[in-house]
Amino acid sequence: MRRALLAITGLAASTTAMVVLKSGPGASQVAQELPAAGQPVAPAPDGPAPTDGGAGPEASPSGAASPRPRRSATRAPATRPTAGATSGARLPSAPRTSSAPARPTTRTVTGPVVENEYGNVQVRITLSGSRIVDAVALELPEETAQSDQRSQQVDDRYSGTSGLVVQQQGADLDTVSGATATSTSYRQSLQAAIDRAN
Amino acid sequence: MTYPRTHAAGRRAGTTPSRDGGRPAGGVRPQVPPRRGPGGRRVLAALLVLGLLASVLPWWLDTPAGSLRTTAATLTAAGRITGLVAGYLLLVQVLMMSRLPLLERWIGGEQIARWHRDLGATLLVAVLAHAALILVGYADLEDKPILTEAGVLLRDHEDMVSAFAAAGVLVLIGFTSVRAIRRVLPYELWHALHLASYLALLLGFGHQFSNGAQLFRPGPVRTLWIAMYVVVVAALVWGRVVAPLAFNLRHRLRVADVVAESPDTISIYLTGDRLGELDLLGGQFFRWRFLTRGCWWQSHPFSVSAAANDRWLRLTVKVVGAYTRDLRDLDPGTPVWAEGPSGTFTAAHRTGDRALLIAGGSGITPIRAVLEELPPGSALIYRARTPADVLLHRELDWLAQARDVRIWYVIGSRNDPGPRQVLTPDGLRGLVPDVVRRDVYLCGPPGLVAQSLAVLRQAGVPRRQVHLATFEL
Repeated sequence: MRRALLAITGLAASTTAMVVLKSGPGASQVAQELPAAGQPVAPAPDGPAPTDGGAGPEASPSGAASPRPRRSATRAPATRPTAGATSGARLPSAPRTSSAPARPTTRTVTGPVVENEYGNVQVRITLSGSRIVDAVALELPEETAQSDQRSQQVDDRYSGTSGLVVQQQGADLDTVSGATATSTSYRQSLQAAIDRAN
Repeated sequence: MTYPRTHAAGRRAGTTPSRDGGRPAGGVRPQVPPRRGPGGRRVLAALLVLGLLASVLPWWLDTPAGSLRTTAATLTAAGRITGLVAGYLLLVQVLMMSRLPLLERWIGGEQIARWHRDLGATLLVAVLAHAALILVGYADLEDKPILTEAGVLLRDHEDMVSAFAAAGVLVLIGFTSVRAIRRVLPYELWHALHLASYLALLLGFGHQFSNGAQLFRPGPVRTLWIAMYVVVVAALVWGRVVAPLAFNLRHRLRVADVVAESPDTISIYLTGDRLGELDLLGGQFFRWRFLTRGCWWQSHPFSVSAAANDRWLRLTVKVVGAYTRDLRDLDPGTPVWAEGPSGTFTAAHRTGDRALLIAGGSGITPIRAVLEELPPGSALIYRARTPADVLLHRELDWLAQARDVRIWYVIGSRNDPGPRQVLTPDGLRGLVPDVVRRDVYLCGPPGLVAQSLAVLRQAGVPRRQVHLATFEL
């Protein structure tokens, strides 16, 4: 019985210790958000840079296990009409060199990271002229199976070249039922991105 | 001291006389087995602890430092840790009960039973903490009352109904295993409830993978977690089905004779095939199942009461209840299903070459078998309530001569002056001056075991030199 008490105490103590170790002052988290939130409007040539700056530190702790890249990667080839927009890195040069001068250039604008109680949301839109042709969620809450599922619903409704964002050409979107918080955060990040673009 | 012959009194009619006190059989096998050392047990224990750390590791890696800033996040994180721990401990609990020969011989059934009990309490706390923390954490996150959140969990999350059922089963098992409650329950009810832990394993399986934050994504963590289930199920099948089947088909044990040792104690002699090949050490036990109409469905652990030989096996049983009463009437030829051997209460697990053995009542039976394989020069203190309760004394007399064993019979109840004087640090040192350097083998009623342990500690005998044969549940 003494050992059982010892084990139970150990369980409680180590659980507490681990949670405390991971809670910290939260300084690093704030620092991560600042550059993304305070990022100036990012037109095409700088597009990839703020994306990395904003999403990089967020994504790295969860490492390769994060499904977010997988989701956008699988969606991207299927739904996007312009190959040039698929890859942010190639973006600045590809449209300009290969397309006719009359054709409007596409550019990407990344919204800030918006945090809600389930996680972070960040949206990047692709514009052709002033028209939104694509929306991608760079980050969505996915820590639990359920929020992952909800994020998936929001992403399916809003994002993509034929999603609500492109249809409505704005951030005035219907809330996805059952995923209010994520929908709201998505719209906030989207609105900020649109504001930056204009 | 001399004792009256006690054999005749309780013998059932028609039984052939005792084989003259069970004088060691023709096969002259008993020899001192090589020492095994604690290495195997330590490796297994270390593996189990490492597994525990490894099962929490995914959470640690998935959670960025400084990310737990809200109460909800903190509670949920603690809920996840306890959930991972509970999931792992449940697997360990089932694994330890898998009767895997490796575990039974390295750690020993008695020790496993003790670990199982202590871990069981821990598992129960972990499961309850997991459920409570997740519930409160989610309720806080979504700003709902706890009961509403429980409804949401049950309705909207996959596999949560079965998960709650699994938790309920575990709570029931834990509750009925509390010693005070267990004592008033019939063994069969307790046992049936314990069998339901397989149900808990099954019911709790789904929600880990549909909702577990560290497990719902395909990936190495999920694969390894499933692999742990596969390993445990394989161990179960091996330990509970394949190994016993192989053993019993090979040796085909059957009752040869039932002999009275004292008014309330019987010895059951078994024969079988290829007994010379048995990998059995004195002091180990089997779980026996006597295949008769009334007894086949119960399996009970009894030590063998003589070292292995190629002619017979013997277990010596005190008649204390309906089941053991039935054993007196076993007919020769009755087939016996045995699982084992198990246990580390053997000469192979000694740490040195000299031993002190302390037996109380029918606790002499494994000690008698160990004695046969210990190096010469052991000492035995044997407490029995009355002279008539002294078991196997002719064999002990023989061992005293053949293996140079000094034997003290202490007659009387634990609280009589004689036994009380012996069971003190000074009393022990008076009889066995070098007790501190000896291995001590201890088997008897719980009171005697507890008292002896205390005395041995006071006398300064290191705990690792003390060997226990009690299940102490």
